Amino acid sequence: MNRTSAQALSVARPVIQGLTILNILYAAGITALLVFSFFIEGWPQRPLGFDLTHAHPYAGTGLRTIVVIGILGAAIVHTILRRLLAIVDTVRSGDPFILDNARHLQAIAWSVLALEVLRFVVASIAAAVWAPDKVDGFSIASWFAVLLLFVLSGVFAQGARMRADLEGTV
Amino acid sequence: MARIVIRLDEQLHARRMTLTELAARIDITIANLSVLKTGKAKAIRFSTLEAICAALECQPGDLLAFDPALPAEE
Repeated sequence: MNRTSAQALSVARPVIQGLTILNILYAAGITALLVFSFFIEGWPQRPLGFDLTHAHPYAGTGLRTIVVIGILGAAIVHTILRRLLAIVDTVRSGDPFILDNARHLQAIAWSVLALEVLRFVVASIAAAVWAPDKVDGFSIASWFAVLLLFVLSGVFAQGARMRADLEGTV
Repeated sequence: MARIVIRLDEQLHARRMTLTELAARIDITIANLSVLKTGKAKAIRFSTLEAICAALECQPGDLLAFDPALPAEE
């Protein structure tokens, strides 16, 4: 392992743990916003300071739906971060080519795919409710990342099989 | 190597050599030789086979045999 990889690896664990805490705080924050939205009189025009629902009658429902999707997204991100931490730990212990890591990577790939679908759903809601020409829900980089993760999961599965063979070689 | 039988024990016995002595001669750990002897190895390197044959003065065929009566590896 070269010096840059070793440094990246030593930084990865605290960064992932920090991101996990931030993600939990984000989920708690938007859950609180969602709950409060039902108790604040004149929501959403009073907190926003202007009457959004006059021009866009479904803006309130749209905002609440997007927040619910946001909470769902945070839950998915949480599983990604937990799996990433497990992978980083196996790399630190010097034994990353195990089938568990291949499974983790495949699960992360599906999770990123789910996040992209959610992003598209959010963009569609936003477009349908208030801003048809302002929201873009498609990112080629993210879909490329999904593809890359599936390939990487296959590489890890093959690596794990080769590792198991090597262990039985005398 | 389910149907491949390792005859290391017979060869060692014929030459009055222990597994520890063989391990020391060919510079392979006893643990690895035990894996080979008990038929738990998945593969054997040519270098290992060559070293064992040189130490025991035998041919690869003296060490390995195929037994079709045994169940095949899954």
